[in-house]
Amino acid sequence: MEIKTRQFKAVARQELNNPNSRIFLDLLPVVLSSLRQLAMASFPDPEAAQRLGGIIRAEALSRLPELLEQFEKNALKAGAKVFWAGDAHAANAYILELARNNQVDFVTKGKSMVTEEMGINEVLEKNGIEVYETDLGEFIAQLLKRPPFHIVGPAANVPPPEIRDIFIEKGIMENPTVDPRELGYAARLYLRDRFSRMKMGITGINFAVAETGTIINVENEGNIRFNKSSPKIQVSVMTLEKVIPNLKDAMHMLRLVSRNCTGQHIGAYASMDTGPRKKDEMDGPDELHIIILDNGRTRLYQNVKTRQALQCIRCGGCLNICPVFGIIGGFPYGWVYSGPMGQLLTPLLLGLSGCHDHIWACTGCGACKANCPAGIDHPRVLHYLREMEVQGEKSLDAVPPPFTEDMAYKAFSVIASNPTLWKLTSKIIRTVLNRNAQDGKLSKGPGPLETWLAGRDFPQMGDKTFHERWKEIENNPPKAVLEN
Amino acid sequence: MKTVSLFVPCIVDLFLPDIGEAMARLLKRLGLSLVYHDAQTCCGQPAFHGGRNPEAVKLAKRFIEIFENDETIVCPSGSCVVMVKKHYPELLADDPAWLKRAQAVAERIFELSEFIVDIMGIADVGASFSGKVAYHESCQLSRELGVVEQPKTLIRAVNGTELVPLNGAAVCCGFGGHFSVTYADISEALVKEKAVHYIASKADLLVISEPGCFLNINGYLSRNHPEHKAMHIAEFLAGKQN
Repeated sequence: MEIKTRQFKAVARQELNNPNSRIFLDLLPVVLSSLRQLAMASFPDPEAAQRLGGIIRAEALSRLPELLEQFEKNALKAGAKVFWAGDAHAANAYILELARNNQVDFVTKGKSMVTEEMGINEVLEKNGIEVYETDLGEFIAQLLKRPPFHIVGPAANVPPPEIRDIFIEKGIMENPTVDPRELGYAARLYLRDRFSRMKMGITGINFAVAETGTIINVENEGNIRFNKSSPKIQVSVMTLEKVIPNLKDAMHMLRLVSRNCTGQHIGAYASMDTGPRKKDEMDGPDELHIIILDNGRTRLYQNVKTRQALQCIRCGGCLNICPVFGIIGGFPYGWVYSGPMGQLLTPLLLGLSGCHDHIWACTGCGACKANCPAGIDHPRVLHYLREMEVQGEKSLDAVPPPFTEDMAYKAFSVIASNPTLWKLTSKIIRTVLNRNAQDGKLSKGPGPLETWLAGRDFPQMGDKTFHERWKEIENNPPKAVLEN
Repeated sequence: MKTVSLFVPCIVDLFLPDIGEAMARLLKRLGLSLVYHDAQTCCGQPAFHGGRNPEAVKLAKRFIEIFENDETIVCPSGSCVVMVKKHYPELLADDPAWLKRAQAVAERIFELSEFIVDIMGIADVGASFSGKVAYHESCQLSRELGVVEQPKTLIRAVNGTELVPLNGAAVCCGFGGHFSVTYADISEALVKEKAVHYIASKADLLVISEPGCFLNINGYLSRNHPEHKAMHIAEFLAGKQN
């Protein structure tokens, strides 16, 4: 998938005026937030349940190498094949070879962010193997050749008429309709035909259980289950942080992921598979290939300051609550992951140099951290990334800001360290700013203040700062009510 | 008489001195004796959020030196209190001597409404305002300090005031310090939503605890809806009303 992280500001500006995105985004706080709260309220103690989620994820990460080995051992014992992929290239090559060796001419896919990250669709298509996304949203996004708008609702901002048009154009249905049920049914018929002839299905993994070698997926459409149960060959891809110690912990995370994602107690389908079809079983693939993908995560794991970004369970809860995401949607983030979780993962996986805006486009409100069921302190990690960018940290591929910015901060700290200088500077600022003041407000400002003044007023500096007023205040007797 | 040391944020000192003055008068009225250290400037929050830790550390140490002998420090900004209370100990974590001093200051600093309600045990500060009031929940104050009910308690106790619900009261107004100028269009879209909710609440006044949020929301209202007013809680409680 093409990386467009550098176009953040330009795309954000477009999206601010995209009425189709607005319809969905305006629903986020009202609908999804309330549903989430209602669903969380079904826990005897929602806060404790959320905290436990963070503890389970942090504890699992602290034992990651050991848990991964345990998972591999148990998955192998259950008859699965396990492939460790260092990067996306290795994972894609493995899948391509597998497809070729089995004369596969098309694959079906369940919705997964990791396969977007790998860019497997492009690789297979370039080699003559057709790819069908089978999640309705992904299917629509694929037909429209668009990146995911939301990690959970990839086509949530596409209005029905646009879906109708692309379905007619691609021969998925014949009769023009914007009835959502009929559109869904048309996609279903079309994809059922692919499922019935499928040889190879590709899915992601929500949780990989170390104790049993089980892979767990949760979804609402049943397409992932199809991809796991119907083909001869099932390929399921996980990034290495997806491992969880045991089924009990996995069940708690499953409860949390659904509640924080869509406000459901549990997704409509949760499937747990341990190995391929056994001799006495009716359903399931002949071969199960589990790919454990690193793609930069070991590096991220080794740094204790960034490790917690791997606690993410991809519920999308932080997107739904982030004020900035609520205004601009998922496109400006320019890659697979968006919103607060994307603002951590994208710079950490791709390097800081192309992700400047991911690090800075945050008001620091902390809503993500307060709602995260995996215990991630997003503002803290972002602060660390800011610090690293300022220092030009090479290991994170950071490009330091211009020298003039350094000088500005240094000057500020020198001035703020000296009360005499502070007072003198405040007099200079007053003179400079108030030159352009009218009716107590600034009509023009220097540098960055100009963007503020485009839509908001800024007060002019008063005749006296608080410093200058203090003597007067100190000597005045207290008044019952201040008079204007 | 108990003595309180005033921590007046730089943004208040320079651009919103009325808020500082209102806090001083309010606290005097409540029977406190006040100290204001003339050497104070900025707590370093802009540097910290700018990823400039060395500059922030320098200002943190300076702040600690100025304020560490005070028994109680009161500030009309939740985010500045968070800076001192939470980020100073983080910034100085590797320096045991300084960490100890930072922690000592952290224990003695309070946001204005938190101080009046939790420490002084007062709800009615003797102010009056006739009309409906909506309250914006500032992010740092409510999420980091957990101060949500205290300002509402104070507002409810104001003679003649009815506190009305505000949709999305806890959603960020879009200020975020430098965010408001580097991502001005996103920031403006957020403050616009805040204004829409405020107007829909039918309140006569929007009360705000955070000088940054006040600058943002008031700046937007003043430009686009001058008939709708916003006020910092210190001014509201000091009695400087319409």
